[in-house]
Amino acid sequence: MASVNSEAGETLSLNIMPMLDVFSILILFLLMSFSTDPVSHDVTAGIELPESISIRSLDENPMITITKKDIRVGDLVVTGLENGDVIDSNRTQGAIAPLFRELEKLAEANRVRKDQPISQEGPQKDALTVEMDQTLSFKLLKRVMLTAQQADFVAFKLLVNKANDG
Amino acid sequence: MKKKRRGAETQAGAVELNVMPFIDVFSLLTTFLLFSAVFIQIGVLEVQIPFLSNAKPPDFQKPERILEVKVDLSKDFIEVSTSWTEAPIDEKKKQFQRDKAGIAEAHRELLSIRTAHPDLDKLTMFTEDEITYKELAEVLDAVKFLLPGETLPPPKDPSAVKNGEAQPSLFPKVIMGSVML
Repeated sequence: MASVNSEAGETLSLNIMPMLDVFSILILFLLMSFSTDPVSHDVTAGIELPESISIRSLDENPMITITKKDIRVGDLVVTGLENGDVIDSNRTQGAIAPLFRELEKLAEANRVRKDQPISQEGPQKDALTVEMDQTLSFKLLKRVMLTAQQADFVAFKLLVNKANDG
Repeated sequence: MKKKRRGAETQAGAVELNVMPFIDVFSLLTTFLLFSAVFIQIGVLEVQIPFLSNAKPPDFQKPERILEVKVDLSKDFIEVSTSWTEAPIDEKKKQFQRDKAGIAEAHRELLSIRTAHPDLDKLTMFTEDEITYKELAEVLDAVKFLLPGETLPPPKDPSAVKNGEAQPSLFPKVIMGSVML
């Protein structure tokens, strides 16, 4: 009990025990939700991820974000979207030309990092992480995957919300 | 004769515990935890797409007859099909509704296939363009992961056993067969 003396000589006391109780419960809750995942990611504004029972965690791979308005590699907007599909001028044989150019740069950086000659290099085993709104169609995801395939990315990690009971 | 009281009170009056440092520590801890708290847990669904490889050709001494498992995901139904790569092909197809009950039935069918063929780890999935990402994720869950209480027999090839796998998988390798030029 914290107390102070007033000018009139009375002792005013404040019961801080309920506050301590609240603090204890709050700390317990926060400690339980504390994430030890090595990589954390804030979901891009406007994107709603689907729920999944997957408990696999995110790791450090280049991120392709597909919102309802555009496609981004990291923070860079590579193409706009119209009616849930890539605008005509950016489509080439089912793939997305500006996205391919960006992924080529990433693939090239991966090759240099691994210090391997390009001619002897097979398909990149490095994966791409895809963050996509749950209402968008597979058609769009397929275009992104096709484009990535041409830049030698063949594995994908699709971002989902871990279901509470998962 | 009065006994001297021990404990919280002395002859001079009540002894109070100074809880202020305790509250200071709690406040700092709460602030730190609130900043670092992750309220939405992000997970990933791993998939692959077909690719041409310049890896060594398969060992021709090994038996070539392999069971292929395919899942067709369309707007109206889910079809689970199996066929052998060599004659007799023995193709089998089963269709399920594309609702929760149908997805659960498809999962049970895949579980029975996997139970009968413990060495299988790969499944090819064909998806219609109109399927949304949400619908795809629902089916991928059913295809990729075992539910609580479900188990698989150990594979015949001991080298295929993965120790320390965080989440038991039904088909760990899912190939998105529709992604082809």
